[in-house]
Amino acid sequence: MRFSGLVENEILKFSRQRRFRVVILILVALIGLIVFAQARGRERFHNKDWHVETQERMARMQNMLRDNRTPPTWRRWARFELDRLRYHLDHNIDPDAVSGPLFARGFANAASYLLLPLLAIVFASDVVSGEFAQGTIKLLLTRPVGRARVLASKLAALVLAITLTVLFGGIVAYLFGGIAYGYGGWAAPALTGFRVAGERLDPASVRSVLLWQDTILAYGLAWFATLCVGAIALLTSVLLRSTAAAMGTMLAALIAGTILPRLAPTWESQKFLFVTNLPLPDYYSGSPPPITGLTVGFGAAVLAVWAAAAVAAAFAVFVRRDVLA
Amino acid sequence: MNAEAVPSESAAPEVVLSAEHLTKRFGDREAVSDVSFDVHAGEVFGFLGPNGAGKTTTIRMLVGLARPDRGRVRIRGLDLAHDFRRAMGHVGCIVESPDLYRYLTGRENLVHFSRMLPDGAAARISELASLVALTERLDDKVSTYSLGMRQRLGIAQALLGNPDVLILDEPANGLDPAGIREIRRLVRRLAAERGIAVFVSSHLLSEVEQTCDRVAIIHRGRTLATGPVRELVNRVASDGLRLIVRPARRAAEVLAAFGHAEVAGNADGEGEVDARLPKESVPEALRALAAAGVDVFAVERSLASLEEVFLDVTGGETV
Repeated sequence: MRFSGLVENEILKFSRQRRFRVVILILVALIGLIVFAQARGRERFHNKDWHVETQERMARMQNMLRDNRTPPTWRRWARFELDRLRYHLDHNIDPDAVSGPLFARGFANAASYLLLPLLAIVFASDVVSGEFAQGTIKLLLTRPVGRARVLASKLAALVLAITLTVLFGGIVAYLFGGIAYGYGGWAAPALTGFRVAGERLDPASVRSVLLWQDTILAYGLAWFATLCVGAIALLTSVLLRSTAAAMGTMLAALIAGTILPRLAPTWESQKFLFVTNLPLPDYYSGSPPPITGLTVGFGAAVLAVWAAAAVAAAFAVFVRRDVLA
Repeated sequence: MNAEAVPSESAAPEVVLSAEHLTKRFGDREAVSDVSFDVHAGEVFGFLGPNGAGKTTTIRMLVGLARPDRGRVRIRGLDLAHDFRRAMGHVGCIVESPDLYRYLTGRENLVHFSRMLPDGAAARISELASLVALTERLDDKVSTYSLGMRQRLGIAQALLGNPDVLILDEPANGLDPAGIREIRRLVRRLAAERGIAVFVSSHLLSEVEQTCDRVAIIHRGRTLATGPVRELVNRVASDGLRLIVRPARRAAEVLAAFGHAEVAGNADGEGEVDARLPKESVPEALRALAAAGVDVFAVERSLASLEEVFLDVTGGETV
């Protein structure tokens, strides 16, 4: 009874359940819709030279900053955005350029907030509770295999499923983005390393890398954040033994996490919540973080601690708890 | 049938599964109290008790799903709590109901569980499928199976690891008479031909009587009696008779002189009479019926109900 056999079992169960096909369908449909909607929007607004367009936008920001009625959070964002646009203009890089590769790169940022975590939850919240619901847990845990090994095989399959989902999302985004904007452009320069220093953007930290390098990094971060959500969802699946309850709990946490920074931007302790740190690719590519003090390194560390604690708790409970009717 | 090949009467019976003082508490309630028994190689051991008596909780402790608060389980001498993996290597089981992955085919289910066993289990799949008569449906999804087929697939799954102990929880539940007969025959065969110790729980006395060699009776979490099934059943069944006679009322009057009798159906014409009389007075009672001009169509021993067994072993305590 090799460990790989157990992982094979879990993969078999993943792939034969309807949820797997649903997730693939969601990704394809959603990305298709985004590309379609975006491409139509661009046709209408983007006929001007991008230099002119960018200068106009910067002028609007400056007006906003001069206006005393502008709320401080907007002010902060506008200042940041202004710096970023100026930097692009100085280096002759179109901040709103589009290409298939750029769309794929942008998808990593957009999806790390909600979509990828959501898909991870769809997978992970069923991993243990599904066996309870079907009654198969009684067979699974009465075979001559230790309980820790059983859970480890499930975790391994979950990591694999999440990895494939993130990869698949990226590939579909590139393919669909390519239809609308062309497939070339991987070697274009991408600006990265935008960092907030006090209230302003720190231009010293900005580096120019090739787009494909930037994209790999962004997907790596999205993958890491999604894995951490998967680990926490696995714990809820172990604790609650009901897929619906586990999914509901995780969804509530996820939604609360996207709302909280907007409702209570001054509450700084929320940066220790896992949901606040999910948009790692965003923090990396330099959008102003919702809470001051959030950086890629900090976010990744917080997520890693949450995930490690969740996995440890899941194992502790799963190995010890009685399986009763 | 080479049933006699199994060492049974000659040598001391080989104990393969033993429960020693198993106790399980849920809050204040003791669901299982001090339950002990031994199951021998090659026998079918019945675990009889009404629903809610603690049968399933006991089984969950036997297979390591629940930890006993006190006592221990030994399988082939291995302590389940300390040697779970080696001990469970000797066990195949169905707990509560034959739950398998419904979205997989029968074969995929067997492949799945063979991967949790030492190499070589997968090679037994086709042999086991034919043993439980599922060869033709093996590549259909389990969701299309009848309960009886799922029960049989569950047994095939349990046999994948060539177990010494087979634990079946209420295998007759929900099956039609043909299905019950099939499972019974299979269980007897496994014990006789392969020397497997089969542990079967049931709440039906008739089921246990027809399937098992020995039985433990559990009631309110305690074992009341353990012994050969024949002994136990004969103790209560010997004085129960059911007769089909005409006229029934007259027959009841005659029989009342020998013991207790009452009319169960139509009193004036042909009807049924339930009687309780000592075994030795049955021939005389039948002669008296003939002398009284009663037509006797049938006399059969009525099967004691589980309740009667309980009344007998508990000495009148209500179930």
